[in-house]
Amino acid sequence: MTAGFTLPTRFGAQALGGCYAPETLMQPLLDLEVAFLAASTDPSFLAELKGELRHFVGRPTPLTPAPRLAAKLGLKHLFLKREDLTHTGAHKINNALAQAILARRMGKTEIIAETGAGQHGVATASACARLGLDCTVFMGVTDMARQAPNVARMRLFGAKVVPVEAGQGTLKEAVNEALRAWAGRCDRAHYILGSALGPHPFPTLVRSFQTVIGEEARAQVLEQSGALPEVVLACAGGGSNGLGLLLPFLEDGLRRVAVEAGGHGTALGEHAARLDGGRMGVLHGCKTLLLQDEHGHTAETASISAGLDYPALGPELAALLLDGQVEVRRASDDEALSGARLLCETEGILPALESSHALALLPALAAEGVATILLGLSGRGDKDLSTYQSRLGI
Amino acid sequence: MNPLLPFLMAGDPSLEALPQLLSDAKALGLEAIELGLPHSDPIADGPVLQAAAQRAIARGATPLRVLESLAGLTDSPDIILFTYLNPLLQMGAERLKALLRPTPVKALLVVDLPFGEEPGFEADLRAAGYPMVPLLAPTTSIDRARQILSDRPDPGASAPFAQRFAYVVARLGVTGTGQGTDLGPVSRRVTDLKGLADRPLAVGFGLSDSRSLAAIRAMGATPVIGSALVQELADGGSLRKALSPRMVDDN
Repeated sequence: MTAGFTLPTRFGAQALGGCYAPETLMQPLLDLEVAFLAASTDPSFLAELKGELRHFVGRPTPLTPAPRLAAKLGLKHLFLKREDLTHTGAHKINNALAQAILARRMGKTEIIAETGAGQHGVATASACARLGLDCTVFMGVTDMARQAPNVARMRLFGAKVVPVEAGQGTLKEAVNEALRAWAGRCDRAHYILGSALGPHPFPTLVRSFQTVIGEEARAQVLEQSGALPEVVLACAGGGSNGLGLLLPFLEDGLRRVAVEAGGHGTALGEHAARLDGGRMGVLHGCKTLLLQDEHGHTAETASISAGLDYPALGPELAALLLDGQVEVRRASDDEALSGARLLCETEGILPALESSHALALLPALAAEGVATILLGLSGRGDKDLSTYQSRLGI
Repeated sequence: MNPLLPFLMAGDPSLEALPQLLSDAKALGLEAIELGLPHSDPIADGPVLQAAAQRAIARGATPLRVLESLAGLTDSPDIILFTYLNPLLQMGAERLKALLRPTPVKALLVVDLPFGEEPGFEADLRAAGYPMVPLLAPTTSIDRARQILSDRPDPGASAPFAQRFAYVVARLGVTGTGQGTDLGPVSRRVTDLKGLADRPLAVGFGLSDSRSLAAIRAMGATPVIGSALVQELADGGSLRKALSPRMVDDN
């Protein structure tokens, strides 16, 4: 086990996770865990976070019944947990805001972040503007092109958006560059990682700030229907949304399902489905299921959704999957587009392409005889309008 | 004292050129050299070494081919294999040891493997003669430095430099940037570390000009030259021309 840490750094029977960080970052990571543990029991931190989540983010988010979509698919009940209705339009703000408050407590004056779809970048830029912190966001050039509205939003919030040209210009390269930048400025900057991955304590930190999604949803579904659903369903890139929704249902006798990006094919490089094609490996500070070639080099990935286009599954979610606590399924680009269209037409809600991967699995679950489903609608689809327009021919 | 510890990226400019580069390094009197294993995601490297790794990978310098190209080489300084963890993990300890056996590799510098994360793997390799180089950063507290140096111990004065030295990171950041940094803090760090352990120290990150290299030698440590050398070789320069003037101080 990693020397010096207090919290467990590993997950599951295969001891996934860990802290595979360059030595320069070890002390900042040790300091971060200390600050997180202190904040977690500090009433003033908890009160500030709770107040901001309520008055700035707009929590609790609604749990919306979707009766027309349910009827169309032959489901009895379908509930949507509406993270798309948070300020900035996705679940990412829950973690970004909490870590920004934590960073300010630690005396940090600058925030570094990576972003794929731009939702974490927008959330972080917004939180930094609100708290008066400098913000630099690293984003791959491919993602900047396909999520252009979010680049503009970040810049409006005063963040510096740094284009990352390397590799495929997607989330993996953005994380590389954010880690490098943090190593150069860790004396004054905090790195707000947006997904439940990276070196310890990030996976635990991010998950802790995201389980508010599932905690609210569990209480809301019991209040609205008097029972728990048969399936709780979420999309999974790194796993912040997946863990955030699914973990609070871990002790319940129901199916927990995470959906990965099936891209446009099943060969390595054509998807971001780590369960089918991934092997145990180390990337970005943690050991987990990783898409890689036979040399241990990270494989290329493909997905219509920038937020799911990442070669590694977060270590805790991977551990839950390997230990049989969570099922992982995949949805292709085309299935996700169909899922999005169906939600738009039946319920008048435009989902993010990431969330559309969860929607894409609904017909299959209905065909398996599932009657009640709670689905995490992780974000709204305004950022994806140009993709929807070109791919759906609108 | 070893006057210079150069870094080369395996496969850049080419794997075919590597035996001659190593032979030239030996002829210059260098005792040890760091050899980078090109990786897809070098999170601790700056632009020069990232680009070198990409070129090498594009030319087919896989971890396996790099190690195979070192097999049987005797006209070479001791090699410290500078690498990220995942390619080694995928190879597995047994296969890695078998591949290293016929090579001049004497130690491993695994950038993203803090002590304690893969204790079995690390102990296995150390027992086979491939210890992990301890890394000490500007952020490493003196207590942590003490722990690192005892967890990755000095095998003793009879062992070669490659297996004995600790790598002191001169400044925050990644490889190859930040030239002209104030060397005062690293000088104090070297003095503190010399009080902890009687083993050779190498100092690297952002060093290239003669004055910085001389300053490190004046601290009683070996300067590492990486990105600047890799760039000069990529631009068509010769190893001898790049290194000769950097091995001795002007007086």
